[in-house]
Amino acid sequence: MPMDEVALDHGHDSHDHKPGFFARWFFSTNHKDIGTLYLIFSLIAGVVGYSLSGLIRWELAEPGIGPMLWIQTTFFGLDGDAAVTAAKHFYNVVITYHGLVMIFFMVMPALIGGFGNWFVPLMIGAPDMAFPRMNNISFWLTVAAFILAILSMTVPGGSAGNGFGGGWTLYPPLSGSTGHPGPSMDLLILSLHTAGIASILGAINFIVTILNMRAPGMTLHKMPLFAWGMLITAVLLLLALPVLAGALTMLLTDRNFGSQFFVPAGGGDPVMFQHLFWFFGHPEVYIMILPAFGIISHIVSTFSKKPIFGYLGMAYAMVSIGVIGFVVWAHHMYTVGMNVDLKAYFVAATMVIAVPTGIKIFSWIATMWGGSIDFKLPMLWAIGFIFLFTVGGVTGVVLANAGVDHALHDTYYVVAHFHYVLSLGAVFGLFAGWYYWFEKMFGIKYNSFLGGLHFWLMFIGSNVLFFPQHFLGLQGMPRRYIDYADGFSTWHYWSSIGYAITLAATLVFFISLAVAFIQRRKATESGNPWGEGATTLEWTLPSPPPFHQYNELPVVNTKGGH
Amino acid sequence: MRRIGVESVRHILAALSAAILAGPAFAAEPLDGAINMQPAATRIAERVHDFHNVLLVIITAITVLVAGLLAWIIIRYNKKANKVSRKFSHNTTIEVVWTVVPALILVGIAGLSFPNLYYQNVTPNLGQIVATSKQLLADGKSAEHQAFTKNYFPDAAEAGFVNVKIQGNQWNWTYTYADIVDESGLPVEFVSNGLHKGRASDPTDGLRLLSTDYPMVVPADRYIRFYTAAADVIHSWAVPAFSIKVDAIPGRLNEGWFLVKEPGVYYGQCSELCGVDHAYMPIEVRVVPQAQFDAWAELMKAGDFDAAAASVRQIASADAGAKFASN
Amino acid sequence: MAGDVKHDYHLVNPSPWPLLGSLAVTVLAIGSVTYMKGLFGLAEGTWWLMAIGFAMVLWVMFGWWATVIKEGRIGDHTPVVEIGLRYGMILFIASEVMFFVAWFWSFFEFSIFWDARVGHTWDSANALFADGLNRFAQWPPADVTTFDPFHLPLMNTLVLLLSGTTVTWAHHALAHGDMKSAKLGLILTILLGLGFTALQVLEYSHAGFSFDGTLYGSAFFMATGFHGAHVVIGTIFLIVCLIRMYAGNLTPQKHLGFEFAAWYWHFVDVVWLFLFAFVYVAPHLVHGGGH
Ligand code: HEM
Ligand SMILES: [Cu+2]
Ligand SMILES: [Cu+2]
Repeated sequence: MPMDEVALDHGHDSHDHKPGFFARWFFSTNHKDIGTLYLIFSLIAGVVGYSLSGLIRWELAEPGIGPMLWIQTTFFGLDGDAAVTAAKHFYNVVITYHGLVMIFFMVMPALIGGFGNWFVPLMIGAPDMAFPRMNNISFWLTVAAFILAILSMTVPGGSAGNGFGGGWTLYPPLSGSTGHPGPSMDLLILSLHTAGIASILGAINFIVTILNMRAPGMTLHKMPLFAWGMLITAVLLLLALPVLAGALTMLLTDRNFGSQFFVPAGGGDPVMFQHLFWFFGHPEVYIMILPAFGIISHIVSTFSKKPIFGYLGMAYAMVSIGVIGFVVWAHHMYTVGMNVDLKAYFVAATMVIAVPTGIKIFSWIATMWGGSIDFKLPMLWAIGFIFLFTVGGVTGVVLANAGVDHALHDTYYVVAHFHYVLSLGAVFGLFAGWYYWFEKMFGIKYNSFLGGLHFWLMFIGSNVLFFPQHFLGLQGMPRRYIDYADGFSTWHYWSSIGYAITLAATLVFFISLAVAFIQRRKATESGNPWGEGATTLEWTLPSPPPFHQYNELPVVNTKGGH
Repeated sequence: MRRIGVESVRHILAALSAAILAGPAFAAEPLDGAINMQPAATRIAERVHDFHNVLLVIITAITVLVAGLLAWIIIRYNKKANKVSRKFSHNTTIEVVWTVVPALILVGIAGLSFPNLYYQNVTPNLGQIVATSKQLLADGKSAEHQAFTKNYFPDAAEAGFVNVKIQGNQWNWTYTYADIVDESGLPVEFVSNGLHKGRASDPTDGLRLLSTDYPMVVPADRYIRFYTAAADVIHSWAVPAFSIKVDAIPGRLNEGWFLVKEPGVYYGQCSELCGVDHAYMPIEVRVVPQAQFDAWAELMKAGDFDAAAASVRQIASADAGAKFASN
Repeated sequence: MAGDVKHDYHLVNPSPWPLLGSLAVTVLAIGSVTYMKGLFGLAEGTWWLMAIGFAMVLWVMFGWWATVIKEGRIGDHTPVVEIGLRYGMILFIASEVMFFVAWFWSFFEFSIFWDARVGHTWDSANALFADGLNRFAQWPPADVTTFDPFHLPLMNTLVLLLSGTTVTWAHHALAHGDMKSAKLGLILTILLGLGFTALQVLEYSHAGFSFDGTLYGSAFFMATGFHGAHVVIGTIFLIVCLIRMYAGNLTPQKHLGFEFAAWYWHFVDVVWLFLFAFVYVAPHLVHGGGH
């Protein structure tokens, strides 16, 4: 275990020169403040994304077009067939922006911008990020991107209404002039460009911070696993996003300046876009989960009061996931008419990823094995994560087999798969981290009863929500459908019930947040509420940490290690 | 709100029994409450099901293993049951085991996966099938011949392919039968629209969101080779009971094949987001005995689409009289 | 900074530039869409909003980097910070490389696998695509005359390679305190950079195909055009270094800005070599000059 013996002297933190309110929050160059800004931002974006998914589940609770039609007639004054057409388009817009908002503006800003900013420097013993000012533009560009994305929902998309309704994957020709000639898609492209620049700058910042600013004595092989996860995430961002930027630029010039990259009649190739997109897209799914892997590792070790099992294996499992993640992209494209040998290659490569993923799962279990486990709230989320991520992982292995994927691609089975790894994986990781570090970040304690209620409602709700979607997918229910054949009714109904339960969970979450900030129960004096198991550097600091920590760098005992 | 409780339990039971007794080919439509794939109508789908069943066992076992370990940990290693934690953090043996064993399982999966993939993905060489079958019979290898004819169909191969071009449009499908030409040399070609568009004016008959005005019609027990294409954006031609899904991409032809033994009606839906009416461009495949197909083709050649469609509303059975389609 | 800080990292003061930068990008993005499509009642082709956004972006860049230069001069860039800046620049260039990967990838896809797309799998029965077989079942496509790589492109290659040596010369001179040679080397590099751009413009004006409406043109102009844009940016970067050199701003000990400009220049150089080899020469050798 890297961090068990930490010799530390964190000098004087009394001279906490904080800038005035405006300068502090709008001109910030402080990693903790920027982290907090990211968390607030992703909370807002999360509410937007979650509301959009509410519309989806509301619509799909019963067959037929219901709520979407009601929205069109009630709020947009349409009726008859015009309202029906508008409702169908609106639904497509909703699913599109749900995906984009959740990925780019909720999960990534929370895990990377929020926790990454807060805890990478604290964990590696650095006073701040390497480029504090650039850190801030990463944040503000993310906000700009979000504004552009929301704006794009409100301007003409295609003939059927406002917004882009072609799915988060943005496949042309539907996203080209043929499908959505209006300005909405152009705004969306520029929004994603902006978010991409923000993330690339953030990635550079994290890599440099981790490579250059670790505390004396902290070799890479002693670095906490969250920092490892963030390092690999950042490398993936750095290498994957520019390719998406290229693809988006091609799309933009196809739409506006007559280039023919994806225009079939001009000899271009829509499938080319899919290759570029998924070359980014598959690493992107790991970008969303690797930080959560790191968080889970720390929580499992902390509450088992045991060092992480197989630390190096854990670190290099993430490295190999990152590397292999770049050579499996076309498993999202088995049905486009690829050469069969190529498919066979992608089957093999994809299944290889399951090995390091398995190593992670088993190592977490081995970390708990023999432990003296305290089932505090973060640990509940972590155990929930491990189980649910396993379910998502094994369906990934099913989908990896092109022969079976021909049946399951673009059905609810895939929807179930990626929500098990994302909504129940990344998001559970996120909440685990939230409760783990809440007191460290805000200097107050959360309400454990409400937190527990949040967990159980969420655990039950999201399983009721997503598990039946496997059945729907197996029966052939296609994804991105506003309406479905009557034979799909039962499980859709249950799925919407599940959503209602998660809605209750979300309300409890916000109540618990309010209660915590009203009660303001003081954080544990020592700065470490979790006891002997919490061995990383952030627990040596007061809660909340001083505005600038580590004015004198902590020294990591070099005699430790494995 | 809809009633739950007893009703749902009934659904689940129905689904379970449906999953266990893979029903007759006529039930090739989504079944409420079902929890597994639609009954297989092609050899491709049978093989997918067999393979998926193996996968299902494996992934269930893995999930149960993980859940079991977690449960054991919760019981045995909570802080009351185990006051002092042990401090080990390495065990090379176990690490090697949990790397190698999953890898071996995956190799095993791949071993099943590849033949399956190639079987469905490579359009069979009919001449080869006929020749192989003859050779096996000539050599008196009847066991081998029997095994061979599980996956390949010499009689159908002898009859050659029925070729269909399937074009996705916003938002319907155009079917073109290149081999069936009328007097002026034009192939039979027609547009198949869904009956229901989610509008108040929709007809009330037919399977909602699945039935079409002019279904695709193919003969039973024949090799069908199809090409998908598209006119505007990407669509995807998919029929769950066939385990087939092939994207229809503008400018390109993607090839696929299937062979259905059992006459029946099989439904599918567009499986690539294609815009407003993506949910409203269903696929209805009526698989009919050759004679009925020929009669349909004659009517189509004559340009009487409605009569042709009516002629396949009831599907004749090769053996008994007339079976009724599911709607 | 508080007096008791006992480390050499750079804790930057709060700064308005990030927020302003983000605002500038928002205006630029909305302005661009207004220009391309028309937005909020402004007609398509309205350019002033985009111009304002662009000016704001330039202003933020100027203000921001001026601050960085100032910080460097007052000693905020300690050795450990310098290492960080170096890593940062390398990573930035790595991301730029990946950006070019996208352009090369599409060029290769179109030029190598055209027969997989427009072979027997081409939907020639459809009137929409019918003439594709005539036009695209070959590379370069019909009615495209490609450049002869051994005229202007070769010259451009030599110009860029030469500029790579002059910038290295300037770097060595700077490191050894020979400011006169450093300036000369840098001026030569800038002139060669400008020369490259001029030659590229000349070449473009003689293109036997257009950007708009042709596949070859799209793939060719976007790949070489983005390279050209990087040459222009690199040239500006070098000019800034030249100005700073005359201002006595760069010393033999401290000249990170120059170093980064030189790295960037080499990167641009290498991208060109790939373009020259795979976009100009190789297709020419394989297919000849076109149809
Ligand atoms: C064991 C590891 C995994 C394997 C083998 C795997 C495999 C696959 C495959 C083959 C698909 C394509 C299915 C289809 O579209 O037909 C897919 C889709 C997807 N996977 Fe995974 N996956 C794994 C883990 C993950 C993880 C960790 C994440 C994210 C945290 C993830 C997120 C997604 C998403 C978002 C999609 C759907 C994208 C879309 O079409 O919109 N997967 N996965
Ligand atoms: Cu993937
Ligand atoms: Cu569709």
